[in-house]
Amino acid sequence: MNSEYLTVSEITRELKGVINPNFRHVFVRGELSNAKLWRSGHFYFTLKDENSQIKSVMFSASSRLKFKPKDGMKVLIEGKIEVYDKNGYYQLYVSKISEDGVGELYRAYEQLKKKLSKEGLFDENHKKKIPNFPKKIGVVTAANGAAIRDIITTIERRWPLCEVILFPSLVQGQLAAYQIADQIKKSENYDLDTLIVGRGGGSIEDLWCFNEEIVARAIYDCTTPVISAVGHEIDFTIADFVADLRAPTPTAAAELAVPPFKEIKAAINQLNSRSYRAIDNIFKVNKQKFDYIVNKNLFKNPLEMYQPKEIILDNLINRLEISSKSLIKENMNKLKFIKNTYVLKNPDNLIDKYHDKYLMQINKLELLNPLHTLKRGYSLARSEGKIISSADDLKSGEELEVEFKDGSVNTKVI
Amino acid sequence: MQKDDLTFEDNLKELEEIVEKLENGDVPLDDAIEEFSKAMELVKACDDKLKDANETIAKIVDENGEIIDFNIE
Repeated sequence: MNSEYLTVSEITRELKGVINPNFRHVFVRGELSNAKLWRSGHFYFTLKDENSQIKSVMFSASSRLKFKPKDGMKVLIEGKIEVYDKNGYYQLYVSKISEDGVGELYRAYEQLKKKLSKEGLFDENHKKKIPNFPKKIGVVTAANGAAIRDIITTIERRWPLCEVILFPSLVQGQLAAYQIADQIKKSENYDLDTLIVGRGGGSIEDLWCFNEEIVARAIYDCTTPVISAVGHEIDFTIADFVADLRAPTPTAAAELAVPPFKEIKAAINQLNSRSYRAIDNIFKVNKQKFDYIVNKNLFKNPLEMYQPKEIILDNLINRLEISSKSLIKENMNKLKFIKNTYVLKNPDNLIDKYHDKYLMQINKLELLNPLHTLKRGYSLARSEGKIISSADDLKSGEELEVEFKDGSVNTKVI
Repeated sequence: MQKDDLTFEDNLKELEEIVEKLENGDVPLDDAIEEFSKAMELVKACDDKLKDANETIAKIVDENGEIIDFNIE
């Protein structure tokens, strides 16, 4: 019946089945038209040549595009072609896009970049710091180009304390790379603080000298810190990777090379007023501390410190007076008492008493006096001065002295 | 590197350090006065340097390596 009729969906699906697997990976060359980079980042355009055109889309293109797409631009595209069911279009989905005509150069660039990167020419730890306050800046660029003008006027505007020395060189064409490398080497003899190497914007072919190995090595070997200043904003040149600092334009390079005069002046002024404010504050704080101490009671009423002590002292004096008086009185009483004793009142009594005792003793002694015995008719015999009290003490013939009350005689024992 | 410019940079750096120290406040008064006078000297030194600013001198190195004046056309 009608079974040979397919629905739109069915035919579309069949088309999809034929087209999609066969165009999964295509390389297409063409010209851009109706190019529109949406804010979403997706890039929609029509790729065309003299006779045909194909709708194309690149999703999340803005981060991946290495050039600014413009209508009429010849491009090389890598991607796939798929059928879009909803409106029956087939569309080119782009995974890679590059400018046509630079393919060879681009490959060379990628190769060199890989090689130098491996060698360590791009290493961060080889990169030198750009001086903050340079006095002499060298510039390797064309003497008649916009680049040197931009650099000089920028430096003059920002930091006129700096001298600019131009090392003129071709910046495009066959000889440019050699001259640039030579001038970089030569600049080392001029005691520079910073060296800017670059040129204003141009086509990728024009800028090619900054992708040459000889320039890369000269920048790497240069002992002066180098700022690259190749006028292009989308892509990097090899020189940008090797340089100690990359600037997107010569003007930007000059801005990076010198400090902003006005800001530095303002900063100094600010430091000046900050100094005043700080010292003022320190004075205030010290004054407060001083006032605090001065206002303490001790300083306000120094007597207050002494008053309690004075009271204690008075008290002590008082007590001392009282106790000393009573002590004196007590002792006076004792003295008075002693003075009033009988003995002291009647000293004669005492003497009389002792005199009587004395006489009594004398009488006693009188009684014992041997002379009294002699007076009563007794005699005393002595031999050689010793009193003889026993007959056994005597031998016959021994002389004796016999004492009487009225004298003595010498006798002999028979 | 040029000695003069190191001095300018060093002066500026020292000035910043002193100001920060003073702002920190924890400095004995005598020291603070001394630091402050030092700061004033540094401000003057930096200012003097900036007063030197004239037109940027532009030179060009010729084929013989001589430095000659360079005027932007």
